[in-house]
Amino acid sequence: MTPSREGARIALAVGAALALGFAVMACVSDQPWAAFRALLTGPLPSIERAADGRVVVHRLVRFGAWLQDATTLTLVGLAIAIPFRARQFSLGADGQLFMGALAAAAISLGLGDTPTALPLAFLAAAAAGAGWGLVAGLLKTRFEANEIVTTLMLNVVAVQVYRLVVGRVLNDPSAGFITTPPLPEAATLAPLIARTTVTAMVLVAPAAVAAALFLLRRTTLGYEIDLAGANPWFAVRAGVPVARATALAFALGGAFAGLAGFHVSNALLKRLPVDLTPGIGLEGIVVALLARGRVGALPLAALGYAYLRVGAQAMERATDVPREVVLVIQALIILFVVSDRLAPLALGLARRASARIGGRAA
Amino acid sequence: MTVAPLAIALEGVEKRYPNGTLANSGVSFAVAAGEIHALVGENGAGKSTVMKMLYGLERPTAGALRIHGRPVDFRHPGDAIAAGVGLVAQHLNLVPSLTVAENVVLGHEPRRAGGRLDRAAAAARVRALAEQSGLAVDPAATVASLPVGVRQRVEILKVLHRGARILLLDEPTAVLTPPETATLFATLRQLAEAGRTILVITHKLDEVKALAGGVTVLCQGRVTGSARMAELDEGALSHLMVGRDLPPPPPRRTARTRPVPRVVARGLGYVDDDGAIRLRDVGFDVAPGEILGIAGVEGNGQDVLARLLSGAAIPSAGDARLDGRVFTGLSPRAVHALGVAVVTEDRLHDGAAPTLSILDNLLATRYARPPLSRRGLIDRGTARRWAQAVIDGFGVRAAGPDQPMGALSGGNMQKLILAREIADAPAFLVASQPTRGVDIAAASALQSRLAALRDQGAAILLISADLDELLALSDRIAVLYRGRIVARFAAGAVDAQTLGLHMTGLGPSLDGDDHDAVA
Repeated sequence: MTPSREGARIALAVGAALALGFAVMACVSDQPWAAFRALLTGPLPSIERAADGRVVVHRLVRFGAWLQDATTLTLVGLAIAIPFRARQFSLGADGQLFMGALAAAAISLGLGDTPTALPLAFLAAAAAGAGWGLVAGLLKTRFEANEIVTTLMLNVVAVQVYRLVVGRVLNDPSAGFITTPPLPEAATLAPLIARTTVTAMVLVAPAAVAAALFLLRRTTLGYEIDLAGANPWFAVRAGVPVARATALAFALGGAFAGLAGFHVSNALLKRLPVDLTPGIGLEGIVVALLARGRVGALPLAALGYAYLRVGAQAMERATDVPREVVLVIQALIILFVVSDRLAPLALGLARRASARIGGRAA
Repeated sequence: MTVAPLAIALEGVEKRYPNGTLANSGVSFAVAAGEIHALVGENGAGKSTVMKMLYGLERPTAGALRIHGRPVDFRHPGDAIAAGVGLVAQHLNLVPSLTVAENVVLGHEPRRAGGRLDRAAAAARVRALAEQSGLAVDPAATVASLPVGVRQRVEILKVLHRGARILLLDEPTAVLTPPETATLFATLRQLAEAGRTILVITHKLDEVKALAGGVTVLCQGRVTGSARMAELDEGALSHLMVGRDLPPPPPRRTARTRPVPRVVARGLGYVDDDGAIRLRDVGFDVAPGEILGIAGVEGNGQDVLARLLSGAAIPSAGDARLDGRVFTGLSPRAVHALGVAVVTEDRLHDGAAPTLSILDNLLATRYARPPLSRRGLIDRGTARRWAQAVIDGFGVRAAGPDQPMGALSGGNMQKLILAREIADAPAFLVASQPTRGVDIAAASALQSRLAALRDQGAAILLISADLDELLALSDRIAVLYRGRIVARFAAGAVDAQTLGLHMTGLGPSLDGDDHDAVA
């Protein structure tokens, strides 16, 4: 399927989901139009000309929330999409993110206000995430442990390790709650846009996607991962180190989830609370799903999905529509996007695709 | 005397796919009830599309189909099955983890109270059906453990179990050995005599001759000829099918010089994970410029032998040397680096990655070293130029290096696989079933390539179920039976009949050992 057709198909799916979502809103809300408007325009800043002639930009916070959410989602999306190239269903982005965040905070606190703290924290986060991913990879390739089970269990382990370390080792007794001390300023990223948490990480995310694409398309390792995913029996017979490539696919994905952890610790929160909520890693699955496993489409999918998440928050605050309705719309979008044959256009495309398959076999 | 009613009739059938491809146009032919009818033509001629329309997998865009005289409009295979039409696909659709009986009754299971599967009844039913139709199978065997020839019998049983009066078979002999083919033909004749109608796609002229009462030739989606077999000799049929005369088979090497063997295998044995002896005390020499043919009924150790020689399995005993260096027991990559190339027997399983591009498939054995990659970076430009050169050089019909491998016909796929394997001018090629399921023209091209490789001094081990191919190409032939070599011949001094006897264990024993001891 060509990218443009696929794009049209996704636009249609999203449109249909929004239309259905509006119907749901009209049922539960007294002000469905306002709610719908809040949902669709919530993440955008509003630009107004004030009485004294100055241009005032409102709601930058939510605009920033959109971008930083998309950043995190892109990175955790990579953590899902890369192992998927090797046909591995990793659900381990959460654990890798927690390990990355922990490593970044530990290095930052350990090194203090030195110029090396920031890059080293960055690298440590990637390494910790990669290491955590590699565990699942090795469990799979050495012991044939099902990766869905191991990655989910490793998530639990990672979260508990995180809580243990934050609560017992890196705890700041002067804070009123269980948390690490604030990270030293030299180790944290300054906002690019005032009043927001949008930092240089917003540029790191697309760079990470570009790096991942380069790795998958141009390197021998990327080729090995593709081949191992496409037909492992053939790959083995051809002499491709399938086990190594598969394990490294987990590690590579983990590195990006680790960077998402760095984003959380050194850009967003600048300290790590013990009750950091897990779950964003699982949202990475949704993003990878929306991108149809295509690495290049991850940033777009992440932007779209983050837009909806932030719009939902805006709607919840501004109107009587509960957040659950947005969860319904999100679920509808995913259903429509993954159901190839739902939309009429999709149906036509699917028919053409199957005709192509059928035609060549004649 | 009454004219036999027509079981299948196509009237001006056209199939145009939405992307514009015209797979069939103005196709008309008829098959009488109880007739075995052959549908022949080169790959891409539209034979499978005809089958698909008759089985409800595709709908004609024009024209009419009649089954037993009644016009039909099959929307899905369920309609076709209800009308008594059954398809035995080229790539078998069985559940490997289930037993033969479970596979056969799948979808039409005998049930006990509470809707549970009645396994005993299923097994009994399948055993009875198997006896009736002469298709010997063990109903309790797990499909995964069966050789492909037996799996096909299971597939036919499945179709019969659904009550098919019309059987569609898409290249049924592509996966069979000569004795299995003979068994299948006997079965098909028996089924036809019992009133069932059989439409069979095949590439092989002698099979058409041996089996069919009528033949229809398709070329580029159109019927170019239709005849009663009695009116046609093989030459005329061949000419009709290919549209030109085939080149003569590549001549066998005649110089009988026997230089130092290039490949020496001694005492090769393999015991599988279940403790079954799959290969025992297999030894052979292959000289440079020589083709050693391995004949045998499928499942007698050919696949194991190929795996041992390619590094995919480690021998339990013995070894094989290439120019004096042991190459068994090494990794596939190390084996390849020593100059051993492998064409695996099932191209879709472990010979190619159908979802990846032609380019990515060609890269598989060469991507890790110059000129295609340096320091871990693949040189896509060089790789692409090479892939295009291979496509052109081997006469592969493909849109370009980016086309998915799976979109190609079997013959074109096999050409690319052979091209990949011989790209590094191997010293030793293990070729398993190199022309299985490919059309005559492609098979002929592949055989010429093998002969050319031999003439360049490579040693070739040719494992084939096609005895004509073995006899035409090999210098010597060894017969594998129950995991050991039971007979050796100079190719010029043996015929298919004799080989067939040895393949089924009926030939005089080579060395008097008790073969039955080999499990």
